[in-house]
Amino acid sequence: MRVVLRLLAGPAGALLLAFVLAALAMLIAGVNPVDGFYWLLRGSLGGRRPIAETLVQTTALLFPALGVSLAFRAGLFNIGAEGQLLMGGLLAGAVGAHFAGPQWMTVFVLLLLGMVGGGIWGGIAGWLRARFNASEIISTLMLNFVALSLTGYLVAGPLKSPLASGAETAPLLPNNWLPAFPTIFGISFGDTRLTISILIAIATALVIRFVFTRTVFGYELRAAGEAPEAARRSGINMPRMTLIALTLSGAVAGLGGAAIVTGVLHRFNTSLSPGYGYTAIAVALVGDLNPLWVCVAAFGFGILEAGGLMMQANAGVPKDAIRVIEGLIILVLAARRYFASRATAPI
Amino acid sequence: MSSGISLALTLLFLTLIKSVPIVYAALGGVISERSGVVNIGLEGMMTAGAFSAVVFTNMTGSPIIGLLAGIFFGAFLGFILGFAATFFKVDQIVAGVGINLVALGGAAYGLVLIFNQPGASPQVNQLGSGGVPFLPQVTTGEAAFIVLAVLCAFGLNWFIYRTPWGLRIQACGENPRAVTDAGLDPLRLRLYSVIVSGALAGLGGAFLSICEVNLYSDGMTAGRGFIALAAVIFGRWTPWGATGAAVFFGFFEALQYVLQGRISWLPSDAMQALPYLAALFAIAGLVGRVRAPAADGVPY
Repeated sequence: MRVVLRLLAGPAGALLLAFVLAALAMLIAGVNPVDGFYWLLRGSLGGRRPIAETLVQTTALLFPALGVSLAFRAGLFNIGAEGQLLMGGLLAGAVGAHFAGPQWMTVFVLLLLGMVGGGIWGGIAGWLRARFNASEIISTLMLNFVALSLTGYLVAGPLKSPLASGAETAPLLPNNWLPAFPTIFGISFGDTRLTISILIAIATALVIRFVFTRTVFGYELRAAGEAPEAARRSGINMPRMTLIALTLSGAVAGLGGAAIVTGVLHRFNTSLSPGYGYTAIAVALVGDLNPLWVCVAAFGFGILEAGGLMMQANAGVPKDAIRVIEGLIILVLAARRYFASRATAPI
Repeated sequence: MSSGISLALTLLFLTLIKSVPIVYAALGGVISERSGVVNIGLEGMMTAGAFSAVVFTNMTGSPIIGLLAGIFFGAFLGFILGFAATFFKVDQIVAGVGINLVALGGAAYGLVLIFNQPGASPQVNQLGSGGVPFLPQVTTGEAAFIVLAVLCAFGLNWFIYRTPWGLRIQACGENPRAVTDAGLDPLRLRLYSVIVSGALAGLGGAFLSICEVNLYSDGMTAGRGFIALAAVIFGRWTPWGATGAAVFFGFFEALQYVLQGRISWLPSDAMQALPYLAALFAIAGLVGRVRAPAADGVPY
């Protein structure tokens, strides 16, 4: 039994598992799985536009998943990526609607603001843990709802665009949009929602990998997660490490929020994320908390997210089946994750 | 003057009604965490309860059967979490997040599969929709749920502190090894506790869908499971404390309804954040000494 589980728990096994679960969900809905998969894949990989949309979804999941895995590696449960995405997006959206300058500079500043917004939100949880030993699990979870209320209040009130009918900020100046994905092999993505944010996300993954494997800080971070007692005795300042890890984790997720605002929505509203921050936990686990595998996992989940709509429209499988599959993947993968030690905080 | 009194009465009864589902889920959280299992899945268990109650009421026409189904499916998710957390030793937080995704997605999926309409179910028979004599603000169903909630709080308090099984469950959350040494199986006790936890959350969810209203709509639990989690902490892992905290949170929800359109300077979004902010203060220990059961969240 355990051998089977361990096989399934690898990234490749997880994808296989996803397919089996998806097939089951289709059978329950009375749909021929061959038919369902055809539309799922056609909607996600069958052409330039579907691929572009899959990469858009991949990017949206990749940032928060990288943030979550960074915290997990340090032995900290950040289940607040959803709120960190929102806060990052809010800051980028609020400033991007009014701030003008050369495109490379404004975009850079807005992405940085996203990191600041998410970093503050993660940092609050880190500070509460470092200073009061308050469980980061509960605090990040609660901060999700505080972020939703706060952003909801701001876009319905002080930051509401006078021209918009709904609750949203004023649109970003077109000069502040993320540039479209560059033309490769003569294929242009100018008419899709794909921007260079996918490249930024992959670069972020590479940077995190470099930090994990090649720097003293990354070593200390992993030591704090894998052997907290040994890390403490060897002189690593654990409260400080907690604060930094959760701040960085939030900053990466917040960068994702800014990337969605500057690349896809071009304004901020509270429906920025249909739960990317929660799905990101599954992505991080499927990717084994390894930045490169997380990229692969995000692509896999991107296929599900992008292809789900096509599957719903043409094969009649409700898109919500995808959520169920994601949840089941988390449950099965969790069965292996108990090996990962983690600092035991009072909950 | 009389309108002031009726407003206060409305607020009082609305507070009770809004507190009910949170109280049940919070009591479920107390027993689960006292046994050493953190139940992040309360939200999903409430959703399962709310959705299945409507499905079975629709099928049988009897909201009582719907209620039992809600309890059963909440307990079933509790069983999954409990089994995973004890015998598979999975991380309880990750498993809880998984349960929430499965339940929320499953209910949305089920709406399409069973009722062929996304978003909300058709209307079903409501549980106890008649009025209570002298109390036009509450229905008989709501009154019954309120009374039952008080009984549950009494019962759980008595169970945890006054019965041998309750003391053993407490021991599971503090020091499971001692329970093993006493010749008992802490894993089994934890499993039972999480099942009861799920049943209570399912009951709270069923209240939302077949008693307060008469249908299920997507996202109808609206974070109440997470609020309940906060109430457990705020109430310091005691049945009465959690109940009090749940009523406190219910009061703010009721206040929103009562103040809607009456006071413009206090945005409702800000009031929605209050329970969560209170929980943040609570876990930071700013509201007094807070201590979780020592083995809470630690696989054994």
